[in-house]
Amino acid sequence: MIRELSWVDPLYLIFALRWTVAITLLALAGGASLGLVVAACGSSGNAASRLAARAYVGLVQGIPLLAWLFLFFFGFPIFGIDVPGWLAATVAFSVYSAGFLGEIWRGALLSIPKTQWEASASMGLSYLEQLRYVIIPQAVRIATPPTVGFIVQLIKNTSLASVIGFVELTREGQMTAAATLAPLPVYLMVGALYFALCYPLTTYSRFLERRLHGAR
Amino acid sequence: MALVELRSVVKRFGDHVVLNNVDLSVQKGEIIAIIGRSGSGKSTLLRCINGLEPVQSGEVLVDGVAVHDPKADLRKLRARVGFVFQSFNLFPHLTVERNITLAPTIVKGLERDKAAVLAREALKRVGLEEKLHAYADQLSGGQQQRVAIARSLAMSPTIMLFDEITSALDPELVGEVLRVLENMAREGMTMLLVTHEMNFARRVANRVLFMNQGTIWEQGPAAEFFQSPKTDELRNFLGSVLN
Repeated sequence: MIRELSWVDPLYLIFALRWTVAITLLALAGGASLGLVVAACGSSGNAASRLAARAYVGLVQGIPLLAWLFLFFFGFPIFGIDVPGWLAATVAFSVYSAGFLGEIWRGALLSIPKTQWEASASMGLSYLEQLRYVIIPQAVRIATPPTVGFIVQLIKNTSLASVIGFVELTREGQMTAAATLAPLPVYLMVGALYFALCYPLTTYSRFLERRLHGAR
Repeated sequence: MALVELRSVVKRFGDHVVLNNVDLSVQKGEIIAIIGRSGSGKSTLLRCINGLEPVQSGEVLVDGVAVHDPKADLRKLRARVGFVFQSFNLFPHLTVERNITLAPTIVKGLERDKAAVLAREALKRVGLEEKLHAYADQLSGGQQQRVAIARSLAMSPTIMLFDEITSALDPELVGEVLRVLENMAREGMTMLLVTHEMNFARRVANRVLFMNQGTIWEQGPAAEFFQSPKTDELRNFLGSVLN
């Protein structure tokens, strides 16, 4: 049934935006937890765990996100596990985020000079205390701009979840466009909403970057 | 008993022998300067004393702790052995105060406010009370190195190890750091210094060690050591650095 584009449509789109935000947050929670493990393994002294981390990162970064989505959405039912779209999307985005965040954080950890480890060790700090008080605070500062940058990518990439039927901003836009036959205004609005979400983050990331290179 | 006792210490990096059967005994209150060409093993010697480098064989006994033992309580040891690096190695994300209070609060469990008093005292000893709230990148190299010394002092170490601590400094900043060392020497601190400052070594050290090819090639009381070197190697070395 074809209907006119009306004033409620932007509201529906704005409501759908929260699912974009929700799936991003879920993916970040999962991706950050797994990414920490990847970063820890990737920067550890153990060659086997370094190799495992590198293999994981290579695998994730070498396969398109869309393929991961299909893999979890169509793959699980083969084993008799039926997964709703949001869950498949969460798992796929988490796996994907962990590969990128893990690599960003590994790089940040390894960029802290060895001498910082030595100085804190020679004061009697244990390994975990070194990490907590000396290494991680400095690594966080280095990792924040690229991490925020990645989050911006992730927000935009959640639009892919629309292909497995998860109703987030893009899917809502598709449905509205189909119902009203007014794709141009609808997708302009969709674009504007993504922009409204991403641009402040990009600006923030730039600000962090400048602060990082400006001092301390 | 000696404060530091090294017995037949051997340290290798791969096939390369860095310390070859080194014996050394350091008494409480002694100030020992270690000189030698780069690659002669002098920095490694210091790093073996606080366990930064494990040794392949021999014994390293420091203030009653068997450092060579893989089960050694390095935390306890390092709380009493101060180490100052050539590149200062202040923690850039922390204020001067927190740099100094970090180890006392974490390793010794001291309360923050008590540690803060300690930090102020330590900074006073190096003449930098006013830099309490500064960050490392707001300080000159000489000031950073004095903060690094204060950071070690705040742990009330029984011995201090200094690894070429003036080598990274502009010449005009060397003096302020050496003056701090001289004050500590006067207060009776046991110190081992790897240094290129021959005049300083002559003036302040009780004993000077010349390291060559991973061994303590020659040693003696400062005055005698510089006045009449016994080996050709030392004579050549002194000739090249003093002229």
